[in-house]
Amino acid sequence: MNIAFTALTLISIVLLTFTSPATAFPTMLQGVMNAITLAVKLAAIYAVWLSVLKMMQATELDKKLSKLLRPLIKRLFKKESDETYGWISINLAANMLGMGGVATPAGINAMRSMAAEGQTVASPNMILLLIINATSIQLIPATVIAMRATAGSADASSIFLPTLISTAVSTLSGIILCKAFALSDTKKDKDFYVNGGSCNKKRHINAISCKVKPSFMSRKRK
Amino acid sequence: MSVYILPALVIILLVVCIIKRVKVYDCFLEGTKDSLGLIKSIFPYIASIFVCIELFKASGLSSIVSGWLSKPLSYIGIPSEITEIILLVPLSGNGTIALLESIIAEYGVDSYPARCAAVISGATETIFYISAVYFSACKVRKLRYAIPVAIFCTLLGTVVACALCRIM
Repeated sequence: MNIAFTALTLISIVLLTFTSPATAFPTMLQGVMNAITLAVKLAAIYAVWLSVLKMMQATELDKKLSKLLRPLIKRLFKKESDETYGWISINLAANMLGMGGVATPAGINAMRSMAAEGQTVASPNMILLLIINATSIQLIPATVIAMRATAGSADASSIFLPTLISTAVSTLSGIILCKAFALSDTKKDKDFYVNGGSCNKKRHINAISCKVKPSFMSRKRK
Repeated sequence: MSVYILPALVIILLVVCIIKRVKVYDCFLEGTKDSLGLIKSIFPYIASIFVCIELFKASGLSSIVSGWLSKPLSYIGIPSEITEIILLVPLSGNGTIALLESIIAEYGVDSYPARCAAVISGATETIFYISAVYFSACKVRKLRYAIPVAIFCTLLGTVVACALCRIM
């Protein structure tokens, strides 16, 4: 993230200095202004949705929802706490229904509950949750259909099926790739234990962070 | 029909709250309080990403890079008219919608590029935004293979989308 951010910003500013140096600073300010506008909007959305989530927790409806999705989620995300499963199921259900306002806070909470203390490297389950979210599992692209209808399309919802298939392809391939990487991770760990110190430093850190996590989680569960 | 779903769900929830004697007002107080805390923790991430996106668009870098990419992307069946939207999709949701609007205006809503662009905007997510915001509450910074895999899968979905738009 740091490398990508620095590179993009640097190249953009260098380009701007050549094309229109006067706009460089206002452009950056505009970016933050946009962020503030979005933050205010999000604060309103989250205020309503987090209240709804609080009611769901108080009535224990969230537990019923996660019980419904539990078989699927338990198969995808192994060895996590009940709290994590609850957040993940709210996140996935909200995503499918196109309620981004609930999905994001639930996702943030899921990530926080999966993280062990001091963990800085993402575990396979965290990456899986991120990828399922980043490849979009929304079932009805409401905004886009509305836009096409306003623009006078002959058949505004004709994009529904292609969108659904395309999302399914990206999400499924994401899950498969994730699981493949996670599999090679456990192999790496075994290699690490067989070969001892012959691994490079980076892999060493990764292996430790992956190994440490489950024990933290199980301690939390007790 | 779908406009009734959300209000209906909230009504059901409120009824359940009454039956279970849950303090609804207290729930709203707590939820609102949490929302400000959440915004406080994700704001730095939103702000830095937005600065980056604004610079990326204003400097013309996005059109230059999409110019470079349009040739190789056309080999895998992605029309050159929509290269810029593919570049913006992982960065910014609002930017994608704005660009989709201009593509619809330029080529006509039922044209091939406009339909491709519509499917892509509906079927993709803002990868960089999500990965920044989701990890804002914990100290995890090394995402390892997460972003490359997400970008690869999105691209795969995009290729499928363009192929489907051609036949459907």
